[in-house]
Amino acid sequence: MTLKTLSPGPRPAGDVRSKRRTSLGRSGLKASGTNVRDRAERRLAVRMTAPSLILMALVAAVPIGYALWLSLNQYSVRTAGLSRFVGLDNYSSALASHEWWAAFGQTFLFAGLSVSLELVLGTAMALLLNLAFKGRALLRTVVLLPYAIVTVVSAITWETMFQPNLGLVTNVLSALGLPGGDVAWLGEQGYAMAVIVLADVWKTTPFAALLILAGLQVISAETYEAAELDGAGKWQTFVHITLPLLRPAIVLAAIFRTMDALRVFDLPFVLTRGANGTESMSMLAYSQLRENRLIGEGSALSILTFLTVMAVSIVYIRFAGGNIREVAKEDQ
Amino acid sequence: MDFTPSSIPMRVAAATKTITGCSTPHSRRHITMAAAALTAVLLLSGCGGGPASQGTENAAAADPASAANASGNLNICGGKDASGIYRGTAAAFTKENPGITAKFTEIGATTDEARTQAVQRLEGKSTECDIFLLDVIWTSEFASQGWLLDQTKLVEANKDRLIPSTLETTKFEDKYWGSPFFTNAGLIYYSKNRVSRPETWTQLYADAAKAPGNGYVYQGKQYEGLTVNFLELLYSAGGEVLDEKGEVKVDSPETRKVLDFMAEGLEKGSADRAVLTYNEDATRLAYESGDYGYERNWPHVYRLLNATKLAGTFDVAPLPSFDGSSKASGVLGGWNLGISVHSTNPGAAVSFINFATTPEWQKHVAIDFSQAPVNEAAYSDPVVLAKMPFAKELLASVKGAKPRPVSPVYPQISQAIHKNVYAVLSGTVGTDEAVKKMAEEIKTAKASF
Repeated sequence: MTLKTLSPGPRPAGDVRSKRRTSLGRSGLKASGTNVRDRAERRLAVRMTAPSLILMALVAAVPIGYALWLSLNQYSVRTAGLSRFVGLDNYSSALASHEWWAAFGQTFLFAGLSVSLELVLGTAMALLLNLAFKGRALLRTVVLLPYAIVTVVSAITWETMFQPNLGLVTNVLSALGLPGGDVAWLGEQGYAMAVIVLADVWKTTPFAALLILAGLQVISAETYEAAELDGAGKWQTFVHITLPLLRPAIVLAAIFRTMDALRVFDLPFVLTRGANGTESMSMLAYSQLRENRLIGEGSALSILTFLTVMAVSIVYIRFAGGNIREVAKEDQ
Repeated sequence: MDFTPSSIPMRVAAATKTITGCSTPHSRRHITMAAAALTAVLLLSGCGGGPASQGTENAAAADPASAANASGNLNICGGKDASGIYRGTAAAFTKENPGITAKFTEIGATTDEARTQAVQRLEGKSTECDIFLLDVIWTSEFASQGWLLDQTKLVEANKDRLIPSTLETTKFEDKYWGSPFFTNAGLIYYSKNRVSRPETWTQLYADAAKAPGNGYVYQGKQYEGLTVNFLELLYSAGGEVLDEKGEVKVDSPETRKVLDFMAEGLEKGSADRAVLTYNEDATRLAYESGDYGYERNWPHVYRLLNATKLAGTFDVAPLPSFDGSSKASGVLGGWNLGISVHSTNPGAAVSFINFATTPEWQKHVAIDFSQAPVNEAAYSDPVVLAKMPFAKELLASVKGAKPRPVSPVYPQISQAIHKNVYAVLSGTVGTDEAVKKMAEEIKTAKASF
């Protein structure tokens, strides 16, 4: 939506504003007389949106509420059906634990590294895919292949490729006389995280590229023509025209990817089982909930993960919102 | 044990309903209010087996005599039947007992999935499964939840034909909660032309460091497999995690000795650092490359290894003692048969267990399905020996092996072990700190509500 309203041409922001004025206001000028109609309209709006609001409440709020309830209790691992209310104890013990903060830091490190790489590479990939050449449609489909592969399957493939002495990567490195052929990549601090980031970048860069490509395609050719007439070079055009107009698309890709990356589970689970500084927040919650059957403690960790992801997306959306307004101002 | 008085009514209600298998509709929140009424109803209807105070005390027991007139259907639930032993045993049992129709239901493709599915069925009081195939490490957890029938009498009756070490995996709070079906123990595979037969772990590590092609490969990835590999060394060195009373004894000189020994092995080249990423399968593949001298793995690898170019170049040895001053030991794997408290046909279940553990059928366990029998005589049977030439070594490993720490919170204990052992092996934490942390975490786990 943001893409549509923003990108094409110099006037979209104005459009948004005028539309908003008409829809909200109509009344603004005519004052009190239309207040009644306004209220009626609002009531109608509530009635029209009620079914979807109720559905959303059932689908999203009920499970979250249930998890919240679970997280306020302790469930005995010794006696079936036995539980006790502990208030916020599960949260305070999680927040006091070294494991949680380690996982927190590691998850953010992973998200920061993988999302920035994906955005840079995704932008480059999108620029290439946007060029007119034969077989473009086919290539656009083909680059999506990594994204279509089930993560667990690709994780197992990466694990095998980085196996010391046996794997493809390590063998190629050895054959080329490069260092790293005899390194246990997944068994070393730092390297393990690098492989996980690589696997994630390989898999999801196409997704970022596709979102950014959509942004690229709505930048009108006239803008470029104008720039050319003004004597802007290739690089200047990219920095001053393409990038600013792409920003909403890039921000959107960043939001999606960051939210995904903060919930990462399958890659570290398959590749390292959380060893060597790769345990994520979701993995910690899983191990408490499923492996240890500590339902209360595990639910508290899930809620904490959920809150973290939500907080980050709120920050993003605020930032993105500001960004959109800024772009609009520049356009005017 | 450590319950507050206010929780007692809830506990009684929960325990009573679990043990009797009588399901009464109620929500967890109303359980306290329902307690009195529930107990009364159960007693009046003759459904109750008397008040129980704890999951394992006063648990309903399987009656060995009930097998005599058993009939009807019997459903055995477990994970993937890779070797065909579950379906095979059910079919053979049905053939011999025409009155009972036994069938196997796969409830999960992997061991973890099977556990999740079994837990869900038991929590939901499903009567679908009469027998659950239990990984040896689940038995105490399931027993403490009151999900299994007490099999003490049954085990006592069959004791003569079962290898004592395998029985230890079904014991929890002085009762037996399952019968061993087939067992498993680690073995050392070694290249007989390059390295000598391992008599002690110290000798194995020394030989492995002598030449580049002598290296030792084992399961060093941070997971259950590392717990097993570490415990095998710890038990051989005379150490333990929990003593007989269940007290945490892991903060010991033995634990430090073994951890230092393993870490040094990685530094001095007895083992490649690559083992830090190996599970069972990766270990096998690494050894199959021909670049290593020793491999620790399970018995099923024997057949696979014989199908490679390494056939004939290797030999099998039981797990050795640490340095000759202590007894050789190891860790037991394998599967037990547990009877669900919700079973509608416990008599048939007892009959099936009697059949599955007979010396005669235990030979088939080895011959037809390549699994390790729980009956000692089977290991010296000529047909078994032809099929499993390493039977003598396997028996030695099985007889010397001990169960992993028996506790309802075993998953947490295992995590405390493999995370801290891994930290030492990868060089991020010193031995002393890791041992203290391990002991602390196990104590915390044991105190779980």
